Amino acid sequence: MIIFDILSDGLFGAIAAIGFGAISNPPKRAFKFIALLGAIGHACRFCLMTYLHVDIASASLVSGLIIGFGSLLLGKPIYCPTTVIFIPALLPMIPGKYAYNTIFSQIMFLQNINQPDLKAKYMEMFFSNGMVTLTVIFLLAIGATLPMFIFHSRSHSLTRRAYK
Amino acid sequence: MTTKTFSMDQVKFVAEYAAHLMGCGIHTSRVIRNTKRLGDALNFDVNISVFQKSIILTIQKNETQQIFSEVIEIPALPISFEHNSELSGLSWEAVDRKLSFEEIKAKYEKIVSAPRMNQWLVLLLVGLANASFCRLFGGDWLSMLIVCIATFAGFYTRLFLQARKINHYIIFIVSAFIASMLSSTALLFNTTSDIALATSVLYLIPGVPLINGVIDIIEGHTLTGISRLTNAFLLIICIAIGLSFTLFLFTNRLV
Repeated sequence: MIIFDILSDGLFGAIAAIGFGAISNPPKRAFKFIALLGAIGHACRFCLMTYLHVDIASASLVSGLIIGFGSLLLGKPIYCPTTVIFIPALLPMIPGKYAYNTIFSQIMFLQNINQPDLKAKYMEMFFSNGMVTLTVIFLLAIGATLPMFIFHSRSHSLTRRAYK
Repeated sequence: MTTKTFSMDQVKFVAEYAAHLMGCGIHTSRVIRNTKRLGDALNFDVNISVFQKSIILTIQKNETQQIFSEVIEIPALPISFEHNSELSGLSWEAVDRKLSFEEIKAKYEKIVSAPRMNQWLVLLLVGLANASFCRLFGGDWLSMLIVCIATFAGFYTRLFLQARKINHYIIFIVSAFIASMLSSTALLFNTTSDIALATSVLYLIPGVPLINGVIDIIEGHTLTGISRLTNAFLLIICIAIGLSFTLFLFTNRLV
């Protein structure tokens, strides 16, 4: 049952990556690797958080790193820059629930501004959710771009084809 | 003076190439690298300075020591990863195969005028993607269906308004409002309605400028990086405004 959970998480991660990638008009040959990395990244974060009880921020950093290295490896055979592959693969990991709760608690704060206990509760909710959203997005970006800076000569020449 | 006018063509082409790369969402250091490489292929030395709305290039002809300067505005183009990879590939091809200027220009025109993906296919994929997003956050099958329909309507609104050249902040507010409004029908059923509401607007998240902005700042192109992040941040605020219209209408039922 654990394997089924991981596989279904990866499958939905892949569909989400393909769909959000399609908005940015990637080359058709890149879709298979976008889907693969989207699935691996999201399933990896799911495993870390569910079975190893890692917090969402560290788990996102690890998944971001995996996606970053993956895009460096997979970019070469299809002549695509790393950003073309890793940006769509990262999008399914945006913490939407926390972002929604940030906005929701802000509105509830404004509507309960005359009730001190409710006001304090929504203020706390606003800051904790906002903090998680910002940290996760920042760590995802750092994780995915780090391999690009470490191996910069490789990442600069991914689109170079071999001509005889 | 035929050689000089011929060179001006090349200068204008290199400037247009750089502005096009910048416009369709590529991080600054890659734009600079690609443009310099293209200049090498055409026997130029290119010095380039990138701002948020315009690019300044100084081009030096290697044989004649002539210097040309060009300022070009960055056009607001839809983001295209296909142009990113194909145009980067073109700059390598120009160097490696020593293409002539006419060949490079013909290949550039061909890449730039290639049709984008079918919009209806994109619409379908985005709907499915947002529905699976809903699943990832723990939504059930009914909320997935509602989110799929809501996203479909929201994204169609976005395309419809974009074709009419409406201000893109207003587009984001309206599409976020329509998507969240439709997904609030989940409140009528016994389902995970808060997850449906939360995920219905996520297709609008400007992921490309967010990540490009971070890359730009880390690589020291702070000015363009901050301008990209500011743009992305304004769009996220617009999404929040659209969503909050819906939340204001339904707050009593959500708590």
